[in-house]
Amino acid sequence: MVTGLSDREISADIIESCRLGDRDAFRALYEAYKDKVYSIALYFFHGDEAAASDMTQQVFLKLIQSIAQFRGEAGFATWLYRLVVNACMDGARRAKPREAAANATVDALAGPGSQEHDFAREETARSVRAALSALPVKFRLPILLRYFEELSYGEMAAAMNCSMGTVASRLNRGHKMLAQKLESLR
Amino acid sequence: MKEPAPNNQLRDLPLVKAPDAIWESIEAAMDASLDAGPKPKWTWRPVWAWGIAAVVLAAVGAGAWLITRPPRAAWAVDRIDGKITEHGKIEVGDWLQTDASSRARITLSDAGAGDIGTIEIAPNTRVRMVASRPGEQRLRLARGEISARVSAPPRLFFVDTPASTAVDLGCAYTMKADQDGNGLLSVTLGWVSLEWAGREALVPAGANCRTRPMIGPGTPYFDDASQALKDALGSFDFDGGGTSAADAVLAEARVRDTLTLWHLLSRVEGTDRQRVYNRIVDLVPLPKGVSPDKALQLDRETLKLWREELAWKW
Repeated sequence: MVTGLSDREISADIIESCRLGDRDAFRALYEAYKDKVYSIALYFFHGDEAAASDMTQQVFLKLIQSIAQFRGEAGFATWLYRLVVNACMDGARRAKPREAAANATVDALAGPGSQEHDFAREETARSVRAALSALPVKFRLPILLRYFEELSYGEMAAAMNCSMGTVASRLNRGHKMLAQKLESLR
Repeated sequence: MKEPAPNNQLRDLPLVKAPDAIWESIEAAMDASLDAGPKPKWTWRPVWAWGIAAVVLAAVGAGAWLITRPPRAAWAVDRIDGKITEHGKIEVGDWLQTDASSRARITLSDAGAGDIGTIEIAPNTRVRMVASRPGEQRLRLARGEISARVSAPPRLFFVDTPASTAVDLGCAYTMKADQDGNGLLSVTLGWVSLEWAGREALVPAGANCRTRPMIGPGTPYFDDASQALKDALGSFDFDGGGTSAADAVLAEARVRDTLTLWHLLSRVEGTDRQRVYNRIVDLVPLPKGVSPDKALQLDRETLKLWREELAWKW
């Protein structure tokens, strides 16, 4: 089994092997991206591990089914994150009532700390997670793509099917909203 | 383009490791797709001879694998009342759902440990078999209520819910999850560990623990604790009740509620932690071998030893 490849090291050979149905090649692809896809899903779905697992599974199954259509005009990561964006948007549409409930709990998320020894760090992370959770979907998604995958504005625009200007504007507004929410959680 | 604050805080957000069970579900779905026959629409294009040979070899390999592969793991499902979506068994990736008048029973089995227990699925419940392999049996409770009675070795059976994972430590318990993902664990025998993102609650028989999405497990409490303690704990865990809520918990605590106070110790800081510590030792003298300094510093071994001594009172 091939593991430990970075996302930038996925070669054309591996993608070609995936097209031919090579399960080890697909596993290599999965290993390279699974944690980033899962993390984006986890933060997107308010820490719901089961929903994040489901979404990660859906993304990679969709990838298997459609990898034959990947022609390489765009980077592989851009194509993959387009699948992620679509799955997140589908999930958000299905989970509207949950979304509202999760947003309502944001103030409580800045509450007492965990058993982790590093309280300050954990508290900050909890506050950021809570603030992220409360962002509307269209601002939350670009921020997650930016910080977990470090996609360029161009790659994000391709993944989200919008212009670079829209990406820049959503990131900017998202950051400002996040800063305001973090301020109010202090 | 300049990105305003808080980008540093965002960069500190940890990457979360994807659970191993996801790959198992993907493989199961791929197997199911193979079982259902070839679906891809092949388009003809010129190929080299070696390409054809590779395809033939792959087909032969896939055929041999289909013949020799081990059977897919499954749990037995029995209907108790009404109609259910699955009969006989569920396999990895399958959902099982009950309606308002139906109930079902799953018999858990592990390749290494054999039959390890049963789960009763209450009405209006939706569950999914997430993983079944030697050493890990995992169920997802999306909503509703399950009652589990497990005789497996500790940390073999897991129930994922929207707000936490219940890790069986050899026990019987009920787990509920509502439409918003809020949960309630009630343990009737043994111990259950509730875990989410590094936050953990150890819940013994006779105790309960609430869970909330993005917060994880709250602080465990006994059934017979006072209502005032339960209310204060809810405020502390989920409504930002802070010091005043913690004070109300301390005032209401009995000897048995040192279960709650022991958990609280590591969820507060500074003078609040000192007051929680003082209240515990007021109720139960500090046992030999437990250093006050190390306890206040949340030294893991010290807290474990202290918990084991306090548990005689629980």
